[in-house]
Amino acid sequence: MLIQFLLIGGVIVLLVFFLRHHGTTKTAAGVKIGFALFMVLAAVAVLRPADVSMLAEFVGVGRGTDLVVYALVVAFGFATINTYLRFKELELRYARLARAIALRNAEPPKHDDAVAAVDGNVDGNVAANAEATVDATADADAKDQARSA
Amino acid sequence: MADQSDVWLVVPVYNEAQVIADVVRNALETFPNIVCVDDGSRDGSADAIRGSGAHLVQHPVNLGQGAAIQTGVEYARSQPGAEYFVTFDADGQHQVADVLRMLERLRAEPVDIIVGTRFKGDDSHIPLIKRVVLKTVVAISPRLRKLKLSDAHNGLRVFNKKVAEELHITLNGMGHASQIVDMISHRGWRVTEEQVEILYTEYSMAKGQSLINGVNILFDTALKTGSKR
Repeated sequence: MLIQFLLIGGVIVLLVFFLRHHGTTKTAAGVKIGFALFMVLAAVAVLRPADVSMLAEFVGVGRGTDLVVYALVVAFGFATINTYLRFKELELRYARLARAIALRNAEPPKHDDAVAAVDGNVDGNVAANAEATVDATADADAKDQARSA
Repeated sequence: MADQSDVWLVVPVYNEAQVIADVVRNALETFPNIVCVDDGSRDGSADAIRGSGAHLVQHPVNLGQGAAIQTGVEYARSQPGAEYFVTFDADGQHQVADVLRMLERLRAEPVDIIVGTRFKGDDSHIPLIKRVVLKTVVAISPRLRKLKLSDAHNGLRVFNKKVAEELHITLNGMGHASQIVDMISHRGWRVTEEQVEILYTEYSMAKGQSLINGVNILFDTALKTGSKR
């Protein structure tokens, strides 16, 4: 049946195109045009069901309603992919923003006395680390307080 | 022992407060430069890192391991004298001795990146299901076979400045491993692999990514777009 070729072929072509070129102005415009066309077709389907049925018969679906359902499934699929890709893009921007903040606030290690204190500490839990740092030297103590302030 | 001051260890950290201080302390005995990227942990990992002698870069929110590695590499490559970079897991799975061997090769051989593999020697200690899945990944990926890589998801990698400069991980989650393989083949980095030992401790087994996450990885990788932004 013609419709099978149309649907499957169309989906594959669109999908490949979509994934390769997503994010360009052209594709964004294409998506909008596609959406507008879809709305027009929906309006036609409601106003002139007989025409849709004729078209459906031509492509081998049977009833006009079935054709509309098929079109809807495909449209839904693309809407989902579009949303997914859009979210991915946002996620990436968000990651870059967070990264910029993280890099700006990077903390180099507190100096040797702190490291030495940790070296002497076998236990490895946070509270003990803090204690060991305070015990180590008066200098470390001062730093520790400055940090918690 | 050779001077390792031109080497930076990049350690992505997410909720590893229990072990991270020990892992860092152990690695610091050999490598003076370690940057831990705390990926929005909620268990005090950041405090553990602060006391450990490593550099701390903290994501304000959890972004995923790929994002953390990218952040760490960007931090490390901006440091004066940084020439070699190592991605190293926070859960104590990796061996310093393996890293040393890989670095030695990287310094001596004409390669840009060396990836660890679990599958070059005896792999019977690897949990069966992990072994099967990881080998299947390699079997169905023509790219991995072409690059002669036998372990696509090994967290231990060492690479030079060229790779660090060109690295752009955009898949925030676990898909970054496949993305790195992707970049190896697209950017023409010279790659080889090195047998490494992964310690499967109870802790790392509980923390390690579950295999079901492979579904997410496949999906993300398949739907990666051509968008360059």
